[in-house]
Amino acid sequence: MLYIHSTSCISAQHTFDDVNLVVLNPVEENKLLAVEPNSNQIPNAVLRRMGKAVRMGIKAALSIVNNQSELKGIIIGTANGGMEDCIKFLNQIIVYDEGTLTPTNFVQSTANNIASQIGLFTANKNYNITHVHRGLAFENAVIDAMMLIKEHPLDNYLLGGVDEISTYNYNISLLDGLYKNEEVKNNNLYEIETAGSVAGEGAAMFLVNGKKQNSLATLRAIQTIHATDEKIIASNLKDFLASHLADGEKLDLFLSGENGDCRLNKYTKITEKIADTTTLRYKHLTGEFPTASALSLWFACNFIENKKVPNNMVKTGSIPTEINTMLIYNNYNGIQHSFMLVNR
Amino acid sequence: MDKEQLKLQLKQQIIESLNLIGIKPEDIKDDTILFGEELGLDSIDSLELIVLLERNYGIKINDPKEGRKVLVDINTMADFIEQNTTKQH
Repeated sequence: MLYIHSTSCISAQHTFDDVNLVVLNPVEENKLLAVEPNSNQIPNAVLRRMGKAVRMGIKAALSIVNNQSELKGIIIGTANGGMEDCIKFLNQIIVYDEGTLTPTNFVQSTANNIASQIGLFTANKNYNITHVHRGLAFENAVIDAMMLIKEHPLDNYLLGGVDEISTYNYNISLLDGLYKNEEVKNNNLYEIETAGSVAGEGAAMFLVNGKKQNSLATLRAIQTIHATDEKIIASNLKDFLASHLADGEKLDLFLSGENGDCRLNKYTKITEKIADTTTLRYKHLTGEFPTASALSLWFACNFIENKKVPNNMVKTGSIPTEINTMLIYNNYNGIQHSFMLVNR
Repeated sequence: MDKEQLKLQLKQQIIESLNLIGIKPEDIKDDTILFGEELGLDSIDSLELIVLLERNYGIKINDPKEGRKVLVDINTMADFIEQNTTKQH
């Protein structure tokens, strides 16, 4: 059990300062690029070296860790870290024949740079770790936080998920079929029956501990699965709900990781059927990326806290007047699946 | 290329390689101290400048003492390039 006390989110939509999930920023060239907020907390001398993933991670983190009691740990999930800097560095190796290589791109490219920079900015020398399990990077960060909180329920932890779009990686993933070849808009992503989705990026951060008092939401349970057979996903989901829902307890909302890729519809269809409640979708707002599930948890917290769900996210059913229990399902590339059960 | 052109080129290269946000070549005077309060460069930047000299002008700085004398301002860098350059700039 993990209690969420504060959240922040940087995405392609208005999720940071004045949250507005009704007026959407459009998909452009099949990408949903994150809108970075201005920040006067990061000196220009430091900011100029940072890649987008690092900037997003730090800005999202600083907005919730300031004025908080000391963090006992910074736990970040990122599949790719500073991918753009990584590619620049690799290109330098080729162009300069392994000769004159500059340190900045290399330093910025390492996945653990996001968590370590947050540690530097907050002068925090406690537990600092980065989980990089591709499409389950954020989920593994959650599991880590849950285990720590089970042992130290009074301690505060910063938990987050961050990933950026890099041009090179986008092109590789496009060739791999992860993104659609035809132009897509926010409102027709799920209607085009082709392979692939749209690319996305973003950062979501959560201040968590084991104290229920004054919490925004509760993450009751999480499960990760590596599988391609939808029957395995279905049986795991049934077991997950049977284990964690009380007798007679129903789900108020199901937040699906459906991303418009027709090859993955078998997973979302079967999970939707088992959830048997109002289904929401979010990837037309965020795009697809390995840690998009971090943003799905932010959406769940936002709905529970504000008791409002934008109509553009509703796939089937009606929005309940009370939102107490939500199930989040995500899958990345049809291989890495996760369930999260979130409560008021 | 005359000395003034070299200095302007050097300023443009420094701004680009160090990603100096919001700074234009005309903001850097020939005698602006590179490291410290004026331009605010740090030790990582010194490595970037050493690489810049090697990549763009074919000059290697192997002795840290030499680096301290060269990377003072645009004047000292331009003088050093003129004295040691092996590439057409």
